[in-house]
Amino acid sequence: MRSLIHAEWTKFRTVRGWIVGMLLAIPLTVLIGLLGPATSNFSCAGPNGESCAGRNPPTGPGDIPVIDAFTFVHRTLTGDGSITARVAALPDNAEPWAKAGVILKQGTEPGSSYAAVLLTGHHGVRMQHNYTEDVAGPSSNQDSQWLRLSRKGDSLTGEVSLDGERWVTISTVQLGLGERVQAGMFVSSPQHVEINRSFGGVDATGGLTLATTTFDEVRTDGDWSADWQGADVGGSPDDATGFTESGGEFTITGTGDIVPITPSLGSLGKTVESTLIGVFAGLIAVLVVATMFVTSEFRRGLVRTSLAANPRRGQLLAAKAVVIGSVSFVVGVVAAAITIPVVENLEVAKGFFLFPTSTLTELRVIGGTGLLFAVSAVLAVAVGTLLRRGGGTVTVVIVGIVLPYLLAIASMLPPGPADWLTTVTPAAAFALQQTAVEYPQVASDYVTADGFFPLSPAGGFAVLCVYAAVAVGFAFAALRRRDA
Amino acid sequence: MEATIEVAGLRKRFGGTTALDGMTFTVGAGQVTGFVGPNGAGKSTTMRVVLGLDAADSGHALVGGRRYRELSRPLTHVGSLLDAGALQPSRSARNHLLWLAHSQGLAARRVDEVIEITGLGSAAKRKAGGFSLGMRQRLGIAAALLGDPPVLMLDEPFNGMDPEGIIWMRTFLRQKAAEGRAVLVSSHLMSELQDTADHLVVVGRGKVIADASVAELIAAASGDRVTLRTTARQPAMTVLARAGAVVTVDGADTITIAGLPAATVIALLTDGGVPFTEVSAHRASLEEAYMELTREAAEFRAGER
Amino acid sequence: MIGVSALHAEWTKVRTVPGTIWLLLGTVALTVLLGALATNAMAPGGDPAESALTGVALGQAIVVILAVAMVSGEYATGMIHTSLIAVPKRLDMLAAKGIVVSALVLVAGTVAVLGSIVVGLLALPDLTLTGPVLRASVGSVLYLALIGLLSLGLAVVVRDAAAAIGVVLGLLYLTPIVTTLVSDPDWHDRLRRLSPMTAGLAVQSTVDVVAQPVGPWEGLGVLAGWAAAALLAGAAVLRLRDA
Repeated sequence: MRSLIHAEWTKFRTVRGWIVGMLLAIPLTVLIGLLGPATSNFSCAGPNGESCAGRNPPTGPGDIPVIDAFTFVHRTLTGDGSITARVAALPDNAEPWAKAGVILKQGTEPGSSYAAVLLTGHHGVRMQHNYTEDVAGPSSNQDSQWLRLSRKGDSLTGEVSLDGERWVTISTVQLGLGERVQAGMFVSSPQHVEINRSFGGVDATGGLTLATTTFDEVRTDGDWSADWQGADVGGSPDDATGFTESGGEFTITGTGDIVPITPSLGSLGKTVESTLIGVFAGLIAVLVVATMFVTSEFRRGLVRTSLAANPRRGQLLAAKAVVIGSVSFVVGVVAAAITIPVVENLEVAKGFFLFPTSTLTELRVIGGTGLLFAVSAVLAVAVGTLLRRGGGTVTVVIVGIVLPYLLAIASMLPPGPADWLTTVTPAAAFALQQTAVEYPQVASDYVTADGFFPLSPAGGFAVLCVYAAVAVGFAFAALRRRDA
Repeated sequence: MEATIEVAGLRKRFGGTTALDGMTFTVGAGQVTGFVGPNGAGKSTTMRVVLGLDAADSGHALVGGRRYRELSRPLTHVGSLLDAGALQPSRSARNHLLWLAHSQGLAARRVDEVIEITGLGSAAKRKAGGFSLGMRQRLGIAAALLGDPPVLMLDEPFNGMDPEGIIWMRTFLRQKAAEGRAVLVSSHLMSELQDTADHLVVVGRGKVIADASVAELIAAASGDRVTLRTTARQPAMTVLARAGAVVTVDGADTITIAGLPAATVIALLTDGGVPFTEVSAHRASLEEAYMELTREAAEFRAGER
Repeated sequence: MIGVSALHAEWTKVRTVPGTIWLLLGTVALTVLLGALATNAMAPGGDPAESALTGVALGQAIVVILAVAMVSGEYATGMIHTSLIAVPKRLDMLAAKGIVVSALVLVAGTVAVLGSIVVGLLALPDLTLTGPVLRASVGSVLYLALIGLLSLGLAVVVRDAAAAIGVVLGLLYLTPIVTTLVSDPDWHDRLRRLSPMTAGLAVQSTVDVVAQPVGPWEGLGVLAGWAAAALLAGAAVLRLRDA
């Protein structure tokens, strides 16, 4: 078997066109990756041509970009303490993720750490902290509920009560906010978005929304500073937002949201996978070479020479798969490893902001691109063995792998069919590149077009592997049964 | 149209190798011209240039006085067989001939005629991809005959043919020449052309080494040598040497005489009263003539390696 | 005269290769099938004609194979030598191939588009045979024929079937994928206007046509430009290179 692999490797490397084709995959991936940011020019100069410095969104803990905008009625709390308030339910027509509740926050700067207990429009009572963390409380459809947030050292506890006497703890979290924190009541209401996706287009309508609710029976324990102050965190003061107080009852109107930003293709925030948009072109080059590597055997009867040199047909196919798979893996890894930093540099220079990714995730994306190339190439070899024709094979594998990906991410299909395609076709393996994180508590579209694949990276890869395995199985059988 | 092929001063380089180095010859009507030389001598390239498949760097090749690419209905001017495998394997032999016929505005009837002539018969309905090399050669000949052309140009037509096929091919070539056509047949084996060709163009390293009739070539290679078998070797040598011949001893009773025709040798021996059992004019085989001609080119080639 | 003969020869060639009929049937089947799936999945407010004709995006892949095979098949087997000996005027041969592939694709495309529209009429109440819908239908047929010519030209340049199909599909798929990342609306429109697939398929839009970056016939013209460029490149290569 080792000598067979050696022989196939020699066959591969001695055809210059194949080497060139394989290597071509790398510049294709890089250059098409650069095309996205290179053709994106936007100006954000103010009236006096000032720079775009402040345009990037605030970042929360872990440098994740966040939206942090709400109406805040606050006092300063020093050391341990708690705040309790009865909060009237948000009106029925409020946004599902409109929020009203009590909050402890490091400061009023957008992006600072916080913990909050809150009522939502349609998602019940919850305890959230630091943008990404979320715990649901007991559900109730009462007109108003008591919320309490207390801290002892770094330990913050959120509780809810229907009558102000029997309390249920939602969660306790460890969060160092510092000795002095801004604490109080808040209201936020996210933008209303209605996205209509149909064939060939996305239609979005929506706009700012406001939410108003009342807080009463406000009690504070601990060392609190003097008067309640209003603040429009993360936004400019607005006539519509703010608060009024009469006889211990606060009426607060707010807009905005407290959430991590989720990426969408074409927005100003760039994920790692968005730099790898050129991978499909590199993949096409790899598929073409892999196809030629196998179909050239049948064209001029070279396969008879190969089988004379080693009559075990299964081994011949295996050796081919090993050689083309390994070469494709290396090409994929190199292409991704070069593309990501190069394109990210250009993106930053152009004024985009990047979603942070852990090194481990980035390695998974790079290795995943290699695996995508490798297994796709093996699939091409198997299909080529079955069809024996270069043209048919290339079309089958490109249409099988790249076309569903194109239809799904280029918004040419509505989300339903797009999800279906990226689940049942080999294109599911593009999930290997996904770094965008889906948050259940964040209202967003999470469609394939924005880089959210229906399957996990491993799951998507498994789909491709199943296709490759089945094709290889049929190829083995065909190679044994048919005359060479 | 004149039945001629005229090749003049063709030069062509592929990268660093010279394929044609001033190839010049003419093929005349009414005879079979053999185009011989070792592998890689430039035979196929010359034919490809004649057929307009490859462009020469300089020089020209004319068929009936015109460039091939300028011919309309070219298959009615030149019938050619370059690579018998140059067909789509999934198409039947008859359909292969049919599209060729249509390309020349010929009727389907002609296709059946050439199938008949070449003896393809019922095999014509089968896919050409399944043909043996010999059958493919016949199919190639059928294609060459489609347009009933005055010029035929065949590259290695004997390849892969069985003895019966070779005899058929020889008869076929002689017959076409007898009809007044110009026939150019290439081969790397002179023996294949021994009894077929009237004229030979011997090439090596991209140019013509010899361009002569078969009789001339054999005569040149044979020289005026005569083989003599006699029991009286010594007297015979004395008589002949006196007449100016160069005499070499081959064996106990045979000597070879160069410089005198056989008739003179017999007269001298009879006059001198020298007994002999056999006098024969030495006749070189075409193969020997060919080896002699190409030895230099071949040696040069071997020396390069 | 030779032009007609070359055409007759190409027609006989394509007619006597067993794959042709299957490829034509495949074009029809895939186009109608994907069209039917898409009509079922159409979101409210979408463009009904465009939904019904979505299958063209899949059917074109078979058209690419058909056109490429007419050239690459000859290079792979060496039959190109026989062809060029029979028709030494190489541009005549290319022109004949172009006419034959256009004719075949026009016929198959007409059947495919008719089938898709019939399925659409049955499934979509919004779809009626208005002027724009007829324009989208005729345009889709022409689109497929132009894709065939584009593939033919590139196949002459590239010669190998697998590589040629890779190049054509890569070219077609490039812009729809890249434009998803382009945030500058000017560039976005520019790319969509210049790309063979997105510009060419603009002929299918019947709703809010003005909002498209390129007009329906204008878009088809862009694709025609691509096809012409590919054929010119093919013609130049065919004339200059040894066979």
